[in-house]
Amino acid sequence: MRSRVIILEAAAGPLYLLILAASVWVLLRGHNEPGGGFIGGLIAVSASILWAVARGSDAARQRLPLRDPLILGATGVLLAALSGVPALLLGDAYLTHLWATLPLGFTDLKVSTVLLFDLGVYLCVWGALAGYALALLAVDDEAAASGGER
Amino acid sequence: MTAVLAATIFATVTAGVYLAMSRDVFRCVIGLALLGAAANLVLFAAGRLVSPLPAVVPVGEILLTDAANPLPQALVLTAIVIGFALVCYSLVLLLRLMRDARTDDALALRYAEPRPDDPVKPPASAADCDVAWPPEDRA
Amino acid sequence: MAAVTEDRRGGLGWVERGLFTALPTLALGLVVWKLALLELPLSVSWSWVPALGIDLAFRVDGLSALMLLMITGVGTAVFVYAGGYLAGHPGLRRLYVLLSLFMLAMIGCVTADHLVVLFMFWEATSVLSFLLVGFDHERTDSRKSAQQALMITGTGGLALLGGFIMLGQASGTYVISEIVDVLPSLAATPELTAALVLILIGAFTKSAQFPFHFWLPNAMAAPTPVSAYLHSATMVKLGVYLLARLDPGFGEWPLWEWGLKGAGSITAAWGMVLALRERDLKRILAWSTVATLGTLVTLVGLRGEGATVAVGTLLLAHALYKAPLFFVAGNIDHGTGTRVIDHLGNLRHAMPWTAAAALLAGASMAGMPLSFGYVVKDVILEAKSAGDVFAFAKAANTVFGAVAVAVAGVAAVRVFWRHPGVNETCEAHEGGPALVAPPLLLALAGITLGTFPFFAQELIAGATGAMTPDAEAVAFSLALEFGPALLSLLATFAVGVVVYLLWDPLHARFERAARRVGRIGMAAQFERALSWIPRSAAASTRALQTGRLPAYVALAAGTIVIALAAALVADWPSLYWPSADGWPGGGPVGACALIVFGAVAAVLQRDRLVLLLAAGLVGYGSGLLFLFTGAPDVAYTQFTVETVFVIVVASVLLALNRQHRAAGLAEPLWRPGAFMLAVGFGAAVTALLLVATAGSFDTALSQFFAERSVPDAYGRNVVNVILVDFRALDTLGEITVVLLSLIAAVPLLQALRPARDKGDGA
Repeated sequence: MRSRVIILEAAAGPLYLLILAASVWVLLRGHNEPGGGFIGGLIAVSASILWAVARGSDAARQRLPLRDPLILGATGVLLAALSGVPALLLGDAYLTHLWATLPLGFTDLKVSTVLLFDLGVYLCVWGALAGYALALLAVDDEAAASGGER
Repeated sequence: MTAVLAATIFATVTAGVYLAMSRDVFRCVIGLALLGAAANLVLFAAGRLVSPLPAVVPVGEILLTDAANPLPQALVLTAIVIGFALVCYSLVLLLRLMRDARTDDALALRYAEPRPDDPVKPPASAADCDVAWPPEDRA
Repeated sequence: MAAVTEDRRGGLGWVERGLFTALPTLALGLVVWKLALLELPLSVSWSWVPALGIDLAFRVDGLSALMLLMITGVGTAVFVYAGGYLAGHPGLRRLYVLLSLFMLAMIGCVTADHLVVLFMFWEATSVLSFLLVGFDHERTDSRKSAQQALMITGTGGLALLGGFIMLGQASGTYVISEIVDVLPSLAATPELTAALVLILIGAFTKSAQFPFHFWLPNAMAAPTPVSAYLHSATMVKLGVYLLARLDPGFGEWPLWEWGLKGAGSITAAWGMVLALRERDLKRILAWSTVATLGTLVTLVGLRGEGATVAVGTLLLAHALYKAPLFFVAGNIDHGTGTRVIDHLGNLRHAMPWTAAAALLAGASMAGMPLSFGYVVKDVILEAKSAGDVFAFAKAANTVFGAVAVAVAGVAAVRVFWRHPGVNETCEAHEGGPALVAPPLLLALAGITLGTFPFFAQELIAGATGAMTPDAEAVAFSLALEFGPALLSLLATFAVGVVVYLLWDPLHARFERAARRVGRIGMAAQFERALSWIPRSAAASTRALQTGRLPAYVALAAGTIVIALAAALVADWPSLYWPSADGWPGGGPVGACALIVFGAVAAVLQRDRLVLLLAAGLVGYGSGLLFLFTGAPDVAYTQFTVETVFVIVVASVLLALNRQHRAAGLAEPLWRPGAFMLAVGFGAAVTALLLVATAGSFDTALSQFFAERSVPDAYGRNVVNVILVDFRALDTLGEITVVLLSLIAAVPLLQALRPARDKGDGA
């Protein structure tokens, strides 16, 4: 019923991973260069849209982490909210971010609650906006499904 | 620059409000989107356009000098995302409307309005009674 | 002792009735005990809202003590009486709870020494009065009366709040005892005058003064214990109390003096006249209460110590005779089933104890020698001869007194001893001790104080001291004198007897006159004003809620335009307009041109897909502009969002296209009215922006972020640092909003889904 574009379907697999990798890269570099959780999340949404165009929005929904945009978004908000808790335990104001440096030998890895917060933003934007986009794209799927019979 | 930006904002706001007053609900939604874009521009302009350089501290330095004002950027960035969510929500409402009421004409939406024979709140004029009641095309 | 009589007939058991009755009794005991031990005035204060300077301040002086005694004393009688009157009534517990709360509110009111605290308790009495008057909430007239009482006293309460705030601001303190000291030294500013007028309105509504007098007789829909407590002894006296409390401060103001004298005299006269109109015993008593309140207000307005003494004595005497008379009316209602005096007569055989109580209380009301009422007459006479009252008032005093005698005669003599016309109440019976003891005891207290007035001497002296500016000891003595008062009394009494004998013909005459007045009277005006509320609401609703979505948008936009334009026009001369600055590079101008092109195209396009692309142009143009003006983060966000937006909406349009709905609606593209409004809106927003950007710019925040980003947050991208670190709580809120909007959309989306299944099945 749904018109299939073979090339798109074939390319969708690698492209999806590539865009997601790009979005994670944008997320990670965000603290020092242009980028961050919002842009990263939006890029991830475009990956989901690509999947939806190629394989249908239900498939794109299944392809999301946790398989549900609402749960994905909620996880993001929860993560962002939790990232402020360690500061509370140390007696600082809520959402005061903490930093630590882990020496790995070849390089020092900086870890921080900021990254956790930005990851929360990323997941929330991905979940919430993909939820909208996939649902609205699904309307066309359904119209295509029912429109053929009318 | 201020004058150019002000003229741009004027055009966008005017177009947005004009579309929002349309009886075509789809145009209303697009008008909402334009108003959102205009609001972002207003917010951005209110923070002054001081420099074309991004608000990123060069490597090895500590102070940010001679760069764009970062605060309105942060505000606009989140506003864009929330504005998109708002437009999406309006679209969902629009689709529900089209599915349930089977019309996209704002003037035809009178289900919640008083009947012509309403004793407490009759319609203001006879022209408001021109829509058949009850709407027979309701699914 | 009273609680034992009619228990176990349903309602409350005697234990619970006893416990409830113990409340006012204990309070009375406490008041008497403390008054005997402690030196007045007594103040306590707790900090409550320090930021607003509001303290829980309480102060008990002589006037408060007098009120406290009345509240708890009459309260005890009322609680006992209520147990008998409503024995077996399912709502008795509710009545007790409400009465207890009411008593607490009253105690708070007369002891509060802070305007805000006083107002709080004042409003509490209004609300509780509403609940008590509407006790029989299943009856329409009961609900209506309660509503009327609440609307009038509630509106008065609002005026009072305004007056209190203005008074507090003008005098620099909200503590009542300090205000009273400060007030005489203040000049009569317009603010103070406004405060005075508002406070007068508040007090007049509460004490049923003209022109707000009409709610009190209607409030007689309340059960008798409530009428006796609220509408004779305590709540309606609050207005008088407040006036007396502020009198030392405002006393020298002509507006105050003449306002009190005028309203009080009119109320007294009008109340007496209307009492003659009634046939319902309770309503007769209510109108005479209105008249007494008028007399009290007049006395507060009169200058001189004598008047102050008179206020105190009349307050006490009225509580001691009007409450028993209400009880008597209640007993008659209880025993015969009617309160209409035409059907009542010769009840002394069936209700001997009630008759005795009525006679004692009536004697006091008529001002017979050896009753406290006589002492009051004496004191008032002295006060009025001392004050510069016009001859009219003196003559009127005799007439009022005469009508009071007549009313007392009707309530105490006519229904018990005479047999006018048909007596349809042969099955009359006396209530139990709970119904008989309270009126008897209160009336006896009145007689005792009348025979030995010096018992009340100290109490009245204390109250007088509190109402006198200098607060020195007031030289007077309450004594049983048979001087000029007796002569005046004889005259009053003679006229009163004549009025009493001619009650029925007078009634008929007044009824005819009053019916004509009724149409233009205050009660009718009030009803008319009330009926305007739903009518104007309906008219404005019809005008504003046309049911047309574009009209709603236009209304909202028009309101914003007017508000913005008004602000701009008001500040026009002092506004800065931006000076011409440098011509920007081609990039930003090109981006702006793209935005303008997209906006114009969106307006001109009817086809929805083209409309969408035009809107997309606006978004991409904004993105480009952001890119050229040093905001790459914003630009990338805008680009991505715009791409997703166009793809998603295009897909929706595709779906609509399959239903042949992609084409726009056939409406005229050119709508001049909407266009004018839109241009106005755009111009207002643009002007606002220009004015805002022309002003000097506070760079403190931006400077802070620019300086602290790397050292404190270890991030070089300042925008991202602001988002995730400096203002992380904001961001957390924003992503929560985004998620919540999806949660709100989910049910809408799910409802879209089953339709497909139907479509598939079709």
